[in-house]
Amino acid sequence: MEDPDALLVARARRGDRWAFEQLVARHQNRLFTLAARTLGSADEAADAVQEAFIRAWLGLPRFRGGSLFSTWLYRIGVNAAHDQRVKRRAEPLDEVREPADPQDSFHVSELSSALQSALNQLDEDYRVAVVLYDVLGCSYTEIAELTEVAEGTVKSRIFRGRSRLAELLGTRTAEE
Amino acid sequence: MVAETHPHDIELFEYAEDELAEARRDEIAAHLATCSVCAEQVRQAAAGREALRETMLLELPEGRREEILRNLPEPERSTGKRRGFFSKQLLAGIAALLVVAALTAVLVKTGGNSGMESSAGGSAGAAEATATSGGGVEDAQTAELFASGPAEDVADDLQRKGFKATLQKDRVVVHGATKAQVREALADRGPGDVEVVVKNR
Repeated sequence: MEDPDALLVARARRGDRWAFEQLVARHQNRLFTLAARTLGSADEAADAVQEAFIRAWLGLPRFRGGSLFSTWLYRIGVNAAHDQRVKRRAEPLDEVREPADPQDSFHVSELSSALQSALNQLDEDYRVAVVLYDVLGCSYTEIAELTEVAEGTVKSRIFRGRSRLAELLGTRTAEE
Repeated sequence: MVAETHPHDIELFEYAEDELAEARRDEIAAHLATCSVCAEQVRQAAAGREALRETMLLELPEGRREEILRNLPEPERSTGKRRGFFSKQLLAGIAALLVVAALTAVLVKTGGNSGMESSAGGSAGAAEATATSGGGVEDAQTAELFASGPAEDVADDLQRKGFKATLQKDRVVVHGATKAQVREALADRGPGDVEVVVKNR
């Protein structure tokens, strides 16, 4: 498959900051959506996105084009979001930051929705799979590559993740 | 009546995505008509998919893009830096070899011949290394690290930095280096799922 980012990636690999800036512009919102939906916090998601782009910039010399740049980048994003979650668990309760930017009502409402609340309760593997497939529209082949599991496992995770999500949404509706 | 064997999740997913061959699709449809458990799972999964697909793409908060671009470090792409790093690696490797030689000499001198003594060898590095399968002094000390993958990239990265790294199944094995050296070489990758086994011989 031809990579739509190939030209910019080739320039960025040679240290061209302008080319990398174009790649950031292309992927920042999708990467942010991935991180925000898997972390449930706009502020932490923005930190994860920043970390992911820095890792990508430094790691570009190692990117050989064996996969799409976006697949490679999302893998870095999933890892960065995972690291944020680990960091959050390690922080004492009084040091945990307030969720999201209080000025940003759009993100606050989106990330406090019933759907997000249900997503937060899914296992991480299921959450990553359904967000990549149903929200970002990645193929399960891409998801298998970036999460390093078999395609069958991805299909199973999406199926179970969707079912569990609907169950959680149903439970919540019934409770309200 | 409920059929005795339920289709696997994978097939139920493929059914929902309309990816099955016609014959198998008909079989699953027939099963769903008689199995309320599977039919309910498929209905729930469809509801979950609808809920997810209604969500919109979120925008990176204002100012964050500029912050990202401002904080991009200088890339380590100059050959001069790499040569410098290699020299540092070489010196560290020689130092590690000297430590191993000294330890071996001490063990030989004291007549040490048990695996216990080997694994308990008291260098500073031994605290973070674990002995291999309990052999004698000939056994290498090993340690484990985890780096973000894929494993091929980790191995390639280490080879480029002058390490004797090989890919063995899903893990990377490094010979003739210490855990600290390998950790430093992989610092920019961050933690991950790729197991890196470091053997100091």
